[in-house]
Amino acid sequence: MTHLSLSNVSKKFVETFAVKDFNLAVERGEFVSFLGPSGCGKTTTLRMIAGFEAPTAGKVILDDVDVTSKAPNQRNVGMVFQSYALFPNMTVAQNIGFGLRIHRESEAAIKQRVSEMLALIHLEKRGSNYPHQLSGGQQQRVALARALAIHPQVLLLDEPLSALDAKIRVSLRAEIRSIQRALGITAIYVTHDQEEALSISDRIVVMNAGAIEQVGTPFEIYNFPQTAFVANFVGTLNTAEAEVIDPSKGLIRMDAVQLESDSPEIKSGQKGEKITIAIRPERLHFLSEGKRANVFECKIENITFLGSVVRVQVSVGNVKFNNDTFNNPFLELPKIGEKTQITCARDAVLVLKN
Amino acid sequence: MRKINLWAWLWIILGGLYFFGPLYGALDFSMREKRGILSFVAYENVLKDPNFRDSFTYSTLIALATITVGLILIVSTAYWVHLRLPQARPIVDFITLLPFVVPAIVLVDGFIQIYSGPPFALTDTPQGTNVLLMFGYIVTAMPYMYRSVDAGLRAVDVRTLTEAGQSLGAGWITILFRVILPNIRTALLSGAFLTFAIVIGEYTFASLLARPAFGPYMVLLGQDRAYEPAALSIMSFALTWAAMMLIQFLGRGAPGQGQVAGAH
Repeated sequence: MTHLSLSNVSKKFVETFAVKDFNLAVERGEFVSFLGPSGCGKTTTLRMIAGFEAPTAGKVILDDVDVTSKAPNQRNVGMVFQSYALFPNMTVAQNIGFGLRIHRESEAAIKQRVSEMLALIHLEKRGSNYPHQLSGGQQQRVALARALAIHPQVLLLDEPLSALDAKIRVSLRAEIRSIQRALGITAIYVTHDQEEALSISDRIVVMNAGAIEQVGTPFEIYNFPQTAFVANFVGTLNTAEAEVIDPSKGLIRMDAVQLESDSPEIKSGQKGEKITIAIRPERLHFLSEGKRANVFECKIENITFLGSVVRVQVSVGNVKFNNDTFNNPFLELPKIGEKTQITCARDAVLVLKN
Repeated sequence: MRKINLWAWLWIILGGLYFFGPLYGALDFSMREKRGILSFVAYENVLKDPNFRDSFTYSTLIALATITVGLILIVSTAYWVHLRLPQARPIVDFITLLPFVVPAIVLVDGFIQIYSGPPFALTDTPQGTNVLLMFGYIVTAMPYMYRSVDAGLRAVDVRTLTEAGQSLGAGWITILFRVILPNIRTALLSGAFLTFAIVIGEYTFASLLARPAFGPYMVLLGQDRAYEPAALSIMSFALTWAAMMLIQFLGRGAPGQGQVAGAH
């Protein structure tokens, strides 16, 4: 059942569209991430859901109620900001209880709810501290508790982890996800960090230049990118120009190399059609592993050690590809300048829409 | 290294002499009303003078009214500019600097021209003239008041705090009084005390509007007496310092924005 829907939502600033024809239906309890580079319109869309920006066109429907023209304080939407936005003059407990006081809850109910929230974020003993006495991670947990305390219909998170260091970011995103799951609350999460979006979301909305590029589960977005933008923005990707040779057999030519692909775009294409193909680095393998579908002669150009992964750059004719291989202490790496063969499965060759 | 310290001390001593020398001179002079001995006779004379009490009380009341109305006008304007019209900030900055450019004598003359006849004949009654005086003082103190409030608002993330309050269900007034104002407390106090200091010593407005304020009283006293004006100067210094210490005292509990390093 749709809990939040945005239909044909647009936002124009002077002459520029920050968001254009945005359509999305979010299920109750779903965790949806808006992913994209700076200026792609993800935060503007979130702010329109919160009511901080009025859409130029379109509707925001929450629980079957049109909230498009409602003020932010009439929407019952919890918001977590990148800069925490805790009230510096109030203690942690007062911050968490602020929304409840505004809603004129009884003192006993406020106390009870604040205790629950402090327990939820594991800061039971920090209720009397001021925000400046907490670390960044703790402050953001308090901001989360404050947003959840009012029982919002939707929880909005605007790059909540951007200001934190890498380790805290990883642990806090897991905490946010587990709290969201435990409470069953619908959440919209804005991020430019693909790893964050892939790890935390039920679905990802990839945005570019104010428009949706693709909506899908993290698995779909990563493995089956539908556009060149998504493919390049999410993960690392090898792309190359190619030409369809035989659509029925999925046969294409890239530079001087012939490739086979299962992609339906090739099967439905025309002979001689120019296409852009994409292959994930981890789907390329050196031939010793016995994969024979697509075999190319290549030359080792560079080897980069990335910790858990070793990235080998090879040239196939004029095209340069990256191959990612999981690191292990017994890994035998080729030498730079060495000539060898590389292969990938038919289903690893994707076709991108431009 | 030692050379730098000597220079530093030299400048400190010179600065101290520059500031405290005249003050010491005034203090010494104010206590020499009785020949040959140091006494507080001049201070007693000032404090016993009913005109001192009346003019000081009058100016204090006008100062309080100026601070109250001024804060309402300036805080709401500065808050709105920060929140909704950041592009208008240079214009507002320019407007708030105008009292530095327009002399008080020109301003009060303009006031008298406009408000001495219908439709706004404020100078016809003492209450009306008091209101006119208060608004004149609001204009005069505006550069100081606005800058204090503006600096306070710049130090907090007004927009995000307001949006956080709104997302929790609060309206503008609640956010302003429960979130924004407590966080700019020191700035408000600083603006208020600067305004108080300006109003207490102001002469031109009060004199030309013929109000019994403290500024004209001090000038009058300076014309008639020798030691009492010096005593008044010391008293106003003491008052200003007391106000400054009060700002420090009331502002010291203002919560900071810093973060405890490593307290994850």
